[in-house]
Amino acid sequence: MTNRREFLKLSSLVGLGATVPTFLARTALAAPDAGKPGAKDSILVVVQLTGGNDGLNTVIPFKDELYAKYRPAIKVPADQVKKVNDSIGLHPSLEGLAGLLEDKALCVVQGVGYPNPSQSHFRSMDIWQAASTAETLTEGWVGKALKSINVPAFHVSSNNEAAPLALNGAPARVPSISSIADFQLKLADKSGKEVIESAAKSGGEKPGLLDFVQRTALNTYASSQKLQEIAKNYEPKVPYPGTGLASRLKLCAQLIDAGMGARVFYVSIEGFDTHANQGAAQGAHANLLSEVSGAITAFYKDLAARGHKERLLLMTFSEFGRRAKENGSKGTDHGSGAPMFLVGGKVKPGLVGTHPNLDKLVDGNLSFGIDFRQVYAAVLEKWLGVSSKDVLGGGFKPVEVFA
Amino acid sequence: MAKTIEPQRVWEPYVPDATNPWDLKKVGHVYRRAAFGASWADLQEGVKLGPQGLVDKLLKGGEASPLYDAETEAFLNSAAKKFNDGAQAAGWWLYRMLHGGHPLREKITLFWHNHFATSNAKVLNAGYMVGQYDLMYRCALGNFAEHLQAMSKDPAMMVWLDTVLSKKGQPNENYARELMELFSLGIGNYTEKDIREGARAFTGWEIQNGKFQNNTAQFDSGEKTVLGKTGNWKGEDIVRICLEQRACPRFIVGKLYRFLISEAETPPADLIEPLAKQFANGYDFGKLVETVLRSNLFFSAHAYRSRIKAPVDHVLGMARALEARMGTQNNALNLTTSLENMGQNVFHPPSVKGWDGGQTWLNGQTLLFRQNLALDMCRRPAGYQQPATAFAVAQAHGMKSDEELAGFFLDLFLQGDVPEETRKKVCDYAKSARTQKVPSYWTKQDVAEHRVISLCHLVMTLPEFQLD
Repeated sequence: MTNRREFLKLSSLVGLGATVPTFLARTALAAPDAGKPGAKDSILVVVQLTGGNDGLNTVIPFKDELYAKYRPAIKVPADQVKKVNDSIGLHPSLEGLAGLLEDKALCVVQGVGYPNPSQSHFRSMDIWQAASTAETLTEGWVGKALKSINVPAFHVSSNNEAAPLALNGAPARVPSISSIADFQLKLADKSGKEVIESAAKSGGEKPGLLDFVQRTALNTYASSQKLQEIAKNYEPKVPYPGTGLASRLKLCAQLIDAGMGARVFYVSIEGFDTHANQGAAQGAHANLLSEVSGAITAFYKDLAARGHKERLLLMTFSEFGRRAKENGSKGTDHGSGAPMFLVGGKVKPGLVGTHPNLDKLVDGNLSFGIDFRQVYAAVLEKWLGVSSKDVLGGGFKPVEVFA
Repeated sequence: MAKTIEPQRVWEPYVPDATNPWDLKKVGHVYRRAAFGASWADLQEGVKLGPQGLVDKLLKGGEASPLYDAETEAFLNSAAKKFNDGAQAAGWWLYRMLHGGHPLREKITLFWHNHFATSNAKVLNAGYMVGQYDLMYRCALGNFAEHLQAMSKDPAMMVWLDTVLSKKGQPNENYARELMELFSLGIGNYTEKDIREGARAFTGWEIQNGKFQNNTAQFDSGEKTVLGKTGNWKGEDIVRICLEQRACPRFIVGKLYRFLISEAETPPADLIEPLAKQFANGYDFGKLVETVLRSNLFFSAHAYRSRIKAPVDHVLGMARALEARMGTQNNALNLTTSLENMGQNVFHPPSVKGWDGGQTWLNGQTLLFRQNLALDMCRRPAGYQQPATAFAVAQAHGMKSDEELAGFFLDLFLQGDVPEETRKKVCDYAKSARTQKVPSYWTKQDVAEHRVISLCHLVMTLPEFQLD
């Protein structure tokens, strides 16, 4: 009963540390040691494909007879794929991304996963975001990295989206923002602001939910004021498609361009849980890929035109791939092993790793050759200049994804 | 609020005493958790009723609010179905939560909506969504085993999790997976094989003319082994087998704990166990809710302000306190859009896991949406020559002086429970606001209203107001 007795005394949440958002503490990036990876103001944009992207219809082994056999209704015809080499091609909706191959700005990491994969959306997403398979996950891999580099970061969200686990653990709470115009506090009487701000500060007697609200409020009011000052009309160098993901990436570009040293961004697009009628070269899944490709391509070109090409790394991931064989509903059930895309001026162009062998499925699922934490390790060590051991606990050899 | 409780008395009914008296704070707490907030009259009445009387009243349900209009409700409901409009359906439900006669039942229905989280974003049939609501409302405080069986055959659910597409030889695993992972057992209490075998039992389940129908030609009648039981199981058997697992009552009780007691703590197993045992014996969910709402734990510091308000609670709580009206007329609140911005669009949960809740509700953007909506709600309803809601409610209850107004809003929204320093700042502000410069063309009424709006908004932006 000691357990319960202990519980019945009021316990507290772990405090989350500093209260001032990072970009208020420093307006320009401190110049790190020029020889160090990550020294050149490297930017990381994580794009989360929520729902379990069907990797096999994203990066397609179009020559493999088993591919056509497993997927009679949803296979993409070989003559329609965007060929990367003579056996692997990208889905035709990824035309924009395929074009980045010519610019040596796209790296396709094949067969990424982890041992004993969970096929629960929520558990697997937590594993990817925390970069851990521990039972209780409270901190994210990006949040932990921010402990080391402590640069300004943003979660660029659709209005109603919760902040991801991936950003938990950062020294200051990473602000979620969906538009600069909506990111301001309206008051009937400006003189009330002092009372509001002081109430947000007054905590501290005990960490807990109230303290959490106060820290969120304080960060938000301060960030909001700063953003209103820097907000100006942003004219992209290339047109962005009229999609949700494109508008979020455009806001990332604006925040990068605002010159407040923001370097880490997190965005999501949902809808990848294609259990039924997912389509083939056209259809529901094709439309999702089209949104991904169009938005990322425009973002890359916009930043490249502003001279940020060498600074940019954008990385996509999804919580799992899908079953190799289609189901009876012309869709696919939850699977494992899937590709990741890395976009930027410094990536190793083309394919990395081997495509999962369709003849050697594990419980009907694609096997993995590269642990996703090896990709994270490369991004941490070679891009952000963060010790991957601090974030991932060590043991993950960085995969060669940079040129 | 009591900070320590004898372990054996945790789930026993709370009886007020000198160290843990019945007061305005506890009335506010009950109304936040077991309803959608309180009006000034609710708070005053609650103090008189005492804990037993107040919980009795909420469990029983009663008269709809004076602002309820049956015609409005019927109109919203029929419009939702007629035009297949998910936003109308959401508006209709919010209307029922805000003005209907049984807020506790609505609240528990919302619990079930978060549990069986189904989104019209995929179902695309407002009639099915309203039908699923009807099922959840009917079963809200009833038998969970019956509820789970009926939910498995609910048309909105069958579309949402692809049961309708699952055929003999080609089972779709979506429903079987979420049945185990999210609806009954929780992760770690089943295997991937249980899901694959279980999925075969739901083949041939179809919707005909808007109703469940079993198409035996598409049913896989073969033997299946699920959770250690082997037989020629039908879908109903799989649901029954899940209900027979010891993990099931624990899982459901754990979720209710989070909903009614605290998000700040994961309760230890031996705290949950007595309730799980009670619940396993007959799956009477109403009794479970009642036990929790009357308990010492519910009226302790462990439960008090130990959740972040969900957007629905935040918004409807403001509306109830301000005695604001929601309806079809143009002076009505349009709450559906606001709630969508804040992350809780009913009938449109983000995934089958529902809303994560807790700290995920609040980030920079959603906090600003909350604070800005609070201001809009204090102001004059659009398009009507009526006084600002904050001003009207203060006047209706006879509050005039600066002290009265500051005290009234602190009591109305926070039952006076703020640090002394905050109280002083709010009171000082109330005085200083009298000397504010205002545009010369403002009428006396404009000035008076503006002052009350600012003060009311200030109280609603206090951090304590974000806590449930």
